[in-house]
Amino acid sequence: MIDDFAMLEKYGFKLIPYSLAKSEKEALSMAKKIGYPVAMKVVSPQIEHKTDFGGVKTDIKNPEVLKHAYRDIMQGAKRKKVDGILVQKMARKGVELIIGGRKDPQFGHMVVLGLGGIYVEIFRDISARICPVNEDDVEEMIGELKSHPLLEGARGKKPINRAMLKKLVVRVCRFMAKENIKEMDLNPIICDSKGCDLVDVRFRR
Amino acid sequence: MNEKIKRLDKIFHPKNVAIVGATKKANKIGNVLMKNFSEGKYRGGIFPVNPKYTQVMGLKCYSSVLEVEKKIDCVIIATPAATVPAIVEQCGKAKAGGVVVLSGGFEEVGQDELAKKILASSDKYNMPIIGPNCLGVFNPYARVDSIFLPTYKLERPKPGGIAFITQSGAVGSTVLDLSAFYGLGVSKFISYGNGTVLCENDFLEYLMYDKETEVIILYLEGAKDGRKLLEWMKRVNAKKPIIALKAGKHATGQAAAMTHTGNIAGSYLAYKSAFRQADVTEAHSLDELFDFVRIFNQPHPKGKRVGIITNGGGMGILTTDAVEDEDLEMAKFSKDTKKKLRKILPPYGTVANPLDLVADAGVDAYEAAIETYMKDPNIDALAIVILFQTPPIDERILHILTKASDDRRKPMVTISVGGEYTEKYRKILEGKGVPSYQSPASAIKALKRFVRYAQRNKK
Repeated sequence: MIDDFAMLEKYGFKLIPYSLAKSEKEALSMAKKIGYPVAMKVVSPQIEHKTDFGGVKTDIKNPEVLKHAYRDIMQGAKRKKVDGILVQKMARKGVELIIGGRKDPQFGHMVVLGLGGIYVEIFRDISARICPVNEDDVEEMIGELKSHPLLEGARGKKPINRAMLKKLVVRVCRFMAKENIKEMDLNPIICDSKGCDLVDVRFRR
Repeated sequence: MNEKIKRLDKIFHPKNVAIVGATKKANKIGNVLMKNFSEGKYRGGIFPVNPKYTQVMGLKCYSSVLEVEKKIDCVIIATPAATVPAIVEQCGKAKAGGVVVLSGGFEEVGQDELAKKILASSDKYNMPIIGPNCLGVFNPYARVDSIFLPTYKLERPKPGGIAFITQSGAVGSTVLDLSAFYGLGVSKFISYGNGTVLCENDFLEYLMYDKETEVIILYLEGAKDGRKLLEWMKRVNAKKPIIALKAGKHATGQAAAMTHTGNIAGSYLAYKSAFRQADVTEAHSLDELFDFVRIFNQPHPKGKRVGIITNGGGMGILTTDAVEDEDLEMAKFSKDTKKKLRKILPPYGTVANPLDLVADAGVDAYEAAIETYMKDPNIDALAIVILFQTPPIDERILHILTKASDDRRKPMVTISVGGEYTEKYRKILEGKGVPSYQSPASAIKALKRFVRYAQRNKK
């Protein structure tokens, strides 16, 4: 997981500040460095969906809460092999999106933009293109989403930072081509009017 | 254009044809083919080839294509797969223009070696090959017809502007049959089966330059080369509209995915994206395919403002709903139009879009209203509802609608809902090139596709 993060950073993707803690003490000092509030997630090769084991704690506001959260997570994962606890800056509040990609046997790399989070596969509100794409293409992709009013600032909210989102989609195509990626998810990406936080990634070569 | 694609002209406009596997035996493919050419008013030379006979249907029969004295433009092969590679090689030696292999028994049953052999001969002689495992070609302009389904069972359409590229013979042939039934005119029909030598993108390229083709229908199960297909769809669609139907949308067989994207972005999504990127119009069923293709050879709409004329109020409202559903716009009349319409309508009628001419409207009211709509710069397209059930509507309406369509000033769709009597008139309209629909929704849906195509391909 941490290796995946590092690989993406090589391609200019900026992930939300994170660190991998191997102990409670490390977690405390990392959280201090990153700045509260933080989120903590279990990192284990044996746990696919972290939330299933109580492996995700969010909005941790101070060291006291962090200690409890750390112990809870370790307790939940006690029968699993644990690589560490990921300490991440708490993401901004905003629209949860997904940018993904896949290598199609006929058409090669394609990129997908959609409404993200845990309901991706339920709502399937997505728009796709064959790579490469430019920012105009992404503009069209945004327009094709059923939920695009959310991105334009529904209910008194400011529109999201479209420019940044477009750059991310364009970059995903580039990344897939260079690294010959079979499939990938950047999910969730949380966007508000100021920018986008890239919280998690997953890919396979 | 590469040599093989250029030489497809020889197959579609042959001075003479050789039919390998020609036979006297009724209901055999080689027999149907002989009948297609000899009874179908094909004007060129017909050369049956079959070592078993010296004569077939009154024509001298040759034991090999190499024996034919004349240079052959088009060879159609309907012999068992194992014999095909040698025959194809002979075609090359005989400097044949191109070959259509109808026979099955190649890649589709794991006989890749046989397929490789015919590809090798094709490359060696730069000779185009359509097939194998297909229905081949149909060109009503040159009376070329390799479709081995008897004409009394499968009607052949008249010459026109619609070209079909189809992988599947079964779908292709039924589409042809229906085209004939609806009176739609066809330019070229290409069923290419396994696509061993030439495939969808090659035919798109050929049709881009084909003078007789105005609109292209592309029926796909799977592309041979997705990237090439995307590139050629982009190029061709900008010149001639392509309407695509992809079958096998829910195909499984994708390896288990570890990402959400892997789960939701299946192979059909790639096709859908490619159609979208090429601005190709996608039909989701055979019904839609026919609904859409009927409208695309009309003059391009300048915008999306629709003017509706009807002789039944309710149908006008349903059509208006469809316009809103499809995100088109209801046109607002110019002052001039309002004045003119006032005179057309009876005193109790209302000047509004949809324009209800009311049930006692005669043919003259339609004529005047259509003419007014054609002249109004605020109207981009016409949707004309004609309920043939009303007493004053008679056959003269057919002439008026045909003339309005032939003038080619604005695109128009007609909508007539009804039973046998209505269907009879709808068929006549279709035969005259006036798009006629059975429901407001299907008419407006098709119109929307055409408006979108016109917007994205402004000339």
